[in-house]
Amino acid sequence: MTFRILHASDLHLGKPFGGFPETIRNRLREARHGALARLAAAARAHGARHVMLAGDTFDAETPAPETLRHALAAMAEEADIGWLLLPGNHDSLAATELWRRIALQAPENLRALTMDAPVPLAPGVSLLPAPCTQRRPGRDLTEAMSAPTPEGDLRIGLGHGAITDFTALESGEAAASGIIPPDRAARSGLDYLALGDWHGRLQVGPATWYSGTPEPDGFKHDLAAGALLVTLPGPGAPPEVTLCETGQFRWHGLDLDLLPGGDAPALLRAALPAVKRRDHLVRLTLSGRLTLAERAALEAEIAQLGPEFGWWAADLSRLAVEALPEDLDQIDRAGALRQAAQTLWEESRNPALAQAERDVASQALARLYALAQEEHP
Amino acid sequence: MKLRAIELANIRRFAGQRARLSGLGDGLTVLSEPNEFGKSTFFDALHAVFFERHRAMGAPVKALRPHAGGAPEVTVEIELPEGRFAIFKRWLSRPQARITDAQGRIVAQDDEAEAWIDALMGGTAGGGLAGPSGLVWVRQGLLGLEPEGTTAEEKRARERGLNTRRDLLSSVAGEIEAMTGGRRMDAVVARVSTALAVLATATGKPKAGGAWAAALAEVEALEREIAALRPRAERLSGDLARRSDVQRQLTRLTHPEEVAARDKALKTAKAAQEAAKAHAAQLAQAETALRLAQTEEQAAQTAIDRLAALEARLAALRDAQERAQEKAQAARARAEDLGQRESEARKTAEAATIAARDLRQRLRLAQKARLAQEARARATTLRQQYSRAETLSQQIDAFKAKLALIGLTQKALETAEEAQATLDRLTAQAEAQAVQITPLPDGAAQALIDGQPLGPEPHPVLAACTLSLPGYGALHLDPGAKRGAETARALEQAQQARDRALEACGVESVAAMRALWGQAQQHQAALTQSAAHLADLAPEGLEALRSALARAEAAAAETPAAPEDPTTLDAELAKAETAENAAQANARSAQELANAAREARAGAEAERIAAHRAFEAAQAEAGDPQTLAARLAAARDALPARTKARIEKAAAHQALAQNAPDLATAEAALTRAQTAADQARQETEALSRELTELNSRIAVIAEEGIEETLAELEGRAAEAQDRAARYGTEVQALTRLRAALDAARSAARDAYFRPVIRELQPLLAILHPGAVIEIDDQSLLPTALTRDGAEESLDILSGGTREQLAILTRLAFARLFAQAGQAVPVILDDALVMSDDDRIEAMFTALHRVARDQQIIVFTCRQRAFAQLGGAKAQVTVDPL
Repeated sequence: MTFRILHASDLHLGKPFGGFPETIRNRLREARHGALARLAAAARAHGARHVMLAGDTFDAETPAPETLRHALAAMAEEADIGWLLLPGNHDSLAATELWRRIALQAPENLRALTMDAPVPLAPGVSLLPAPCTQRRPGRDLTEAMSAPTPEGDLRIGLGHGAITDFTALESGEAAASGIIPPDRAARSGLDYLALGDWHGRLQVGPATWYSGTPEPDGFKHDLAAGALLVTLPGPGAPPEVTLCETGQFRWHGLDLDLLPGGDAPALLRAALPAVKRRDHLVRLTLSGRLTLAERAALEAEIAQLGPEFGWWAADLSRLAVEALPEDLDQIDRAGALRQAAQTLWEESRNPALAQAERDVASQALARLYALAQEEHP
Repeated sequence: MKLRAIELANIRRFAGQRARLSGLGDGLTVLSEPNEFGKSTFFDALHAVFFERHRAMGAPVKALRPHAGGAPEVTVEIELPEGRFAIFKRWLSRPQARITDAQGRIVAQDDEAEAWIDALMGGTAGGGLAGPSGLVWVRQGLLGLEPEGTTAEEKRARERGLNTRRDLLSSVAGEIEAMTGGRRMDAVVARVSTALAVLATATGKPKAGGAWAAALAEVEALEREIAALRPRAERLSGDLARRSDVQRQLTRLTHPEEVAARDKALKTAKAAQEAAKAHAAQLAQAETALRLAQTEEQAAQTAIDRLAALEARLAALRDAQERAQEKAQAARARAEDLGQRESEARKTAEAATIAARDLRQRLRLAQKARLAQEARARATTLRQQYSRAETLSQQIDAFKAKLALIGLTQKALETAEEAQATLDRLTAQAEAQAVQITPLPDGAAQALIDGQPLGPEPHPVLAACTLSLPGYGALHLDPGAKRGAETARALEQAQQARDRALEACGVESVAAMRALWGQAQQHQAALTQSAAHLADLAPEGLEALRSALARAEAAAAETPAAPEDPTTLDAELAKAETAENAAQANARSAQELANAAREARAGAEAERIAAHRAFEAAQAEAGDPQTLAARLAAARDALPARTKARIEKAAAHQALAQNAPDLATAEAALTRAQTAADQARQETEALSRELTELNSRIAVIAEEGIEETLAELEGRAAEAQDRAARYGTEVQALTRLRAALDAARSAARDAYFRPVIRELQPLLAILHPGAVIEIDDQSLLPTALTRDGAEESLDILSGGTREQLAILTRLAFARLFAQAGQAVPVILDDALVMSDDDRIEAMFTALHRVARDQQIIVFTCRQRAFAQLGGAKAQVTVDPL
């Protein structure tokens, strides 16, 4: 008996993207909504009848009414697909109003998994959900997945939360309580454990996966976003997991460490996607150091490339200027301009000054260089 | 470079001629010729050689062509450090340029010759006024420092002049490449300022309408929105959390197991409380029975104690009564004894008192008799004194009467004596002065004076009188009317005064008066003596003496019947009074003892009565004395039964108390169970109401999608904040850049103008001692002159002054060229046309000063004015071609 199901999570419908300009903000929100249809299409295309959303389907505990209704309507429109909604930490059971409304307005093909009891999904298939009770439950909710199911059933666990305390890993702090044991699938005899919370795709074990978000929403995970098509050949058999790309946008957080002598514009171009730039968001962080000329050339390249992308930000604050006498010569060999450049250059290297003052001088020098180049002698 | 000769061929008025200007020295050379001589032609031709390409076809070249046409040719002979050269140019027809050296060898031709010229002029020639000559050569009628006009060419000319100046100044200064830097500096500063002005105000604040201010305003607006929204979002969040809590509590409270547990607890508590209550009732009964048994036992014991005590008390009271009676009897006997003694003592005292009183009476009578005897002796004496005194008093009265009768006082006597003396003195004076008539009768006829016979003695005539001389008749004698009247009046007044004094005393003469005064003196002496005697006899007056006499006579009249000796009586009385005092003291002592005995008797009697009454009361209480013992015995017999009953009741009570459940605890448990049930009910009701309210509120706020909106606003605020920060950083960088540019330009300007000022100032001092010139940092030319502290713009200076400053400035620049190794001649073509004689003289001095190491060629048509200039004279020769 082979069973297929689509595993997705962290849709974060209604995420506002307030930090972005209005145009891209609306496009990003719309892309998240559109992911529902793309998930349904992916499931349908690969013969899956159900889509599991492993938590954080909604970004807020009380999403805007239209966010909820649009989502429910979109799911209702995909009538041949069964939607399985698990409360995550963003839309935990503490979001009582949300789940109350879902209970009132949900279409027939949507099932809100608000209890941690086994759910018969199909003949011979049991789903063991572990809904988040709170934003931070503080305990391992997946213990409920050890609940018995009919003999011979496929056991599919559906949970939300961290196996590794990613925050603690990043910050170096002690791991918080409530971490899902990595061997939960084995402990609870699961044929597949579908997890949400981590927005990037990640395989934890032979039968344990984070699907990641079907529509990317940040620069942290520079992967093709999508859902996992899970094929379960039978109880005890390892699952087959394949990626179904569903993402519309790609987010690129590019860190370029530059040194004088390299072709910085070329390096930048090489790091950027060549096509569909309108659907790419780029956050460029430049570090290292460049000569004034190289920096001017890079800034010109950035100024030219930026508008081609859906969104673009370049942070040059950590890119130091390595001004050489010949660079200053290009501003002017002598005279007042040269004197001004010399003053700024010396100021940018003066250890007696605060770093902030040196940075200002450095930026002023770079600006002077660019302006002087535009005003050809 | 120095010019040595200029040769023109076929130029303007020298059509078909060759004109040669020569004699150009190292210093100042003057060509002073009238108008239309062709001086400007030489100037233009010279200019064309250096600044017009030989293939040029423009107006400056065509202007050289004579009316008759042809190809203009110019040869300029110059001297350079490396030797002498000739520059030849031909325009328009078969144009040619050629450079030959002193030996006539061609150094360069055509374009190479142009390049040679360019190099000579500092690499910037070939474009009109671009070279240094353009800066220092002064065309005819030039007032300003640079070409004027608005045509494109004129603007270009000005621009080239500016470039040249920058080039010159920067190369001279050796530290600023101002020509390139300056222009680019202007552009860069302008762009920085523009970029800054878009974002910030002059003081570095965000500029209204700018992107920076807009970003900050957006941040502020968004933060306001967030601040307004957040409380609602927090309220919603709080409501949601509260609703979960409420629902959880309600679930717990209404859970069937919870409800059943509460009911069971309540029932159990009620049953326990009722059982405890019943047991408590039994225990209370047992306790009552015990208390009753205890009371009966106690009563029996009390009766025994009371009867025994009564029996003992009766015996004691009886003894006491007997002792009181004995004591009262003894007191009565003592009181009677002492009363008797008191009576006797009182009688003795009374007898002593009577004896003493009799003796005092007898003593008073004896003393009275002695006093009467003494009064009789005194009365006799007083009577005699009174008689004498009375006689003296009568004598005094008689003298007083005599004195009163005389009525003369010493003062009246003295007055009369004084008046008599005055009269006597006046009379003597009158007689001494008066005519004296002395009768010398020869007969018996009696002469009469004023009818009175005139005696034989001389008779003074004191007043007018008539002397009757019998037989003769009469003679009227008058001592003189005035003199006689005064004397008579004085005499009369003195006589009147004496007469008044005498009359007052009733005497006729002073002598009589004196005699009378002697009598009065005798009376007064007698009177005084009598008064003294009287005073001795009756010092307090005669009446007092008479009263004392009467009192003495009255006292003497009382005489006792049988007079006793007072002294004897006095001694007896003293004895009697001593005896009286002793008897009275004895009587008082006896009285006190008797009184004390009476009080003791009364006290003993009272005690006796009290003891008696107490005994009677005890007897009354005890009743029949014979049954008292029987009653006591009966009571003692009944006590053991009472004690036994009490022990039995106590055992029963203890048995019940040991197994008794605590009713208070049972009731408390019941109360707690009941309270818990009530609280659960009330809590359920309150939570249900709160849940309804929360549902309603949450439904309303949740409809607003407030959480999403808030998150979006926060994101937008963060983005706007970042944007504002980026603009802030941008403004910082631009501000710093502009400050650096301003500082550099300021420093450059100072360095830039230093050489010009250095060269110009000494020349200026020749014309305007103490004046200071201002240089514009844009045009690099003088713009103002400060004289005597007042700054004057170049535009408002007179034409002559402007002309002079233009030439001096060029001279200064020429010196700069020379110092830079680009020495070029200064050529002035009718340059000083507006200067007055004095200023021209000063300008000549300035020209000479510069000409010491600078070639200067002056073209002028003002031959007389320039006669004083001095310098070498140029020669012009004109030959046909």
